[in-house]
Amino acid sequence: MSRKYKMHRFGLKCLLAFLLLLGLNAWAQTPATSNNAPAMAATVSVGASAPVVALTRPGLVAQDTINGADTAWMMTSTALVLLMTLPGIALFYGGMVRKKNVLNTMASVVACAALVSLLWFAVGYSIAFTPGNGWLGGDTRLWFSGLDYLKEAGKVAVSHVAPNVPESVYAMFQLTFAIITAALIVGAVVERLRFSALLWFVGLWSVLVYAPIAHWVWEPGGWLAQRGVLDFAGGAVVHINAGVSGLVCAYMLGARKGYGRESFEPFNLGLTMAGAGLLWVGWFGFNAGSAVAADGRAGLAMAVTHIAASAGAITWMLGEWIVRGRPSLLGLCSGLVAGLVAITPAAGFVTPSSALLIGAVAGVACYWGATGLKRLLNADDSLDVFGVHGIGGIVGALMTGLLASKTVSGVHGDAMVQLIGVGAVVVYSAVMSAAVLWFTKLMVGLRVDDGSEVTGLDITQHREHMGT
Amino acid sequence: MLASEKLAIAAHLHVLLRRKTGRVTDTQWMADNLEYAAEMVRFARRSAEEDGHADLAEWADKLEQAMFSTPQQRTKGAPPQVVSVMPTLRSLLATNVSTPEAGDSQFDSARYVRGLR
Repeated sequence: MSRKYKMHRFGLKCLLAFLLLLGLNAWAQTPATSNNAPAMAATVSVGASAPVVALTRPGLVAQDTINGADTAWMMTSTALVLLMTLPGIALFYGGMVRKKNVLNTMASVVACAALVSLLWFAVGYSIAFTPGNGWLGGDTRLWFSGLDYLKEAGKVAVSHVAPNVPESVYAMFQLTFAIITAALIVGAVVERLRFSALLWFVGLWSVLVYAPIAHWVWEPGGWLAQRGVLDFAGGAVVHINAGVSGLVCAYMLGARKGYGRESFEPFNLGLTMAGAGLLWVGWFGFNAGSAVAADGRAGLAMAVTHIAASAGAITWMLGEWIVRGRPSLLGLCSGLVAGLVAITPAAGFVTPSSALLIGAVAGVACYWGATGLKRLLNADDSLDVFGVHGIGGIVGALMTGLLASKTVSGVHGDAMVQLIGVGAVVVYSAVMSAAVLWFTKLMVGLRVDDGSEVTGLDITQHREHMGT
Repeated sequence: MLASEKLAIAAHLHVLLRRKTGRVTDTQWMADNLEYAAEMVRFARRSAEEDGHADLAEWADKLEQAMFSTPQQRTKGAPPQVVSVMPTLRSLLATNVSTPEAGDSQFDSARYVRGLR
């Protein structure tokens, strides 16, 4: 038995041991939760009849302070955002790869959803959304401890970031963002990354890269939030982060065999269209849900989301029509996603006219990102994660700085501050993704062998195939 | 051109591609299928350009001549094309587009070579 094979077996055993540990720890954590709860309540609770005090950390409040409409909308949004990944991203990506790799691509997305969920529950939510320092949150919500609903005491836990909805709902809403960000990276590594390597990478990445950046930008004490960086629903946290990480992975993994010489026929662009449709619908939960309320701002976020998606689809289509002579279905689907990505950081800050401009610019910029820039970068970012999400996220973040309206949100945008936010996320995401991938290579190796790549990852990684 | 002549050219190109680029091709299919032949012509020319194998370009030209010089073979099985006299949106929008009729098979075979978009 070769040394390499032994290392791979060792890596897989470590993964299994970790998952087992995860389960045991979660079980052991349960009594601590209930012991901890009253102390939290005594220090930060807000009664129904008492004057409303702004929370600075998660804690227990009276149940009647919860807003039913907001809670219902947030639960709906959570389902919509999960729908974007399962099956949205799975179909979107699955349709674009070759037939022999469709199931592996879909399995990767499903595995990302499950693994990131457990890690968010265990670690991610706490270090992202509890107060700590500017760089990292605290440990008070490890294993979702303290996310209590105390029927007899009439108390429920809320987050200081979203005091009108139960913290369990807010944590779940944010969980779906963590899932989709990791799932987006799959598009850059399809058709050659070992499945066990994907699990290692995504698991470590969601804790070491995603959660800290979410803390920087979205937790009020985060250093980018303190500097006034605007990111309504995740232009930087989700899209720039996933795009840059995807590009780094594409460079480190190397190109697929035959890339640049052979035609890689997509399996079924009809599936890709179905996925794009689910993304468009789900994005209403993504952006309008990020208002954390069922209010006017959420309504406006929904409207600008739709306008930007439409503008992105049209400008990408026109660009392709002029340059290539034909408008493609894939171009339309990519353009709408580009518009959605770019409006994400801006959704709660801009007017509908600004959304039209943001979507239109994003459609053209991302078309260039997935074609001209892709050739310049010379990386096999297989499904254009950087070209669409990275470029779209950067365009959206910078245009938010230029177009944020004080009448909509009460804050002014600043393009320089936005640029600092973009730069910080790009650098951290690139460096840490490279480090995590390097560690993954040590543990289980990265690429499948040449024979497996030629045969296809459906058979060689999963012993399954699409059928005829 | 006779089928046997096409096969001979395809076989020659097969050997050259194997030796110069390591690419293993299907000789019979190259002489039968227009799309595959177009892709091999494109690949041979690209290798000739990038790696300086002049004979690859020469035999790519021969295969192209053999496979695409007879108009009735090119449209074999396809319905006759209807030419519209109305201007299309494309013709109104585009100034530098290639005509879709010219080299369609080549275009399609190269469609996804260096990316999807």
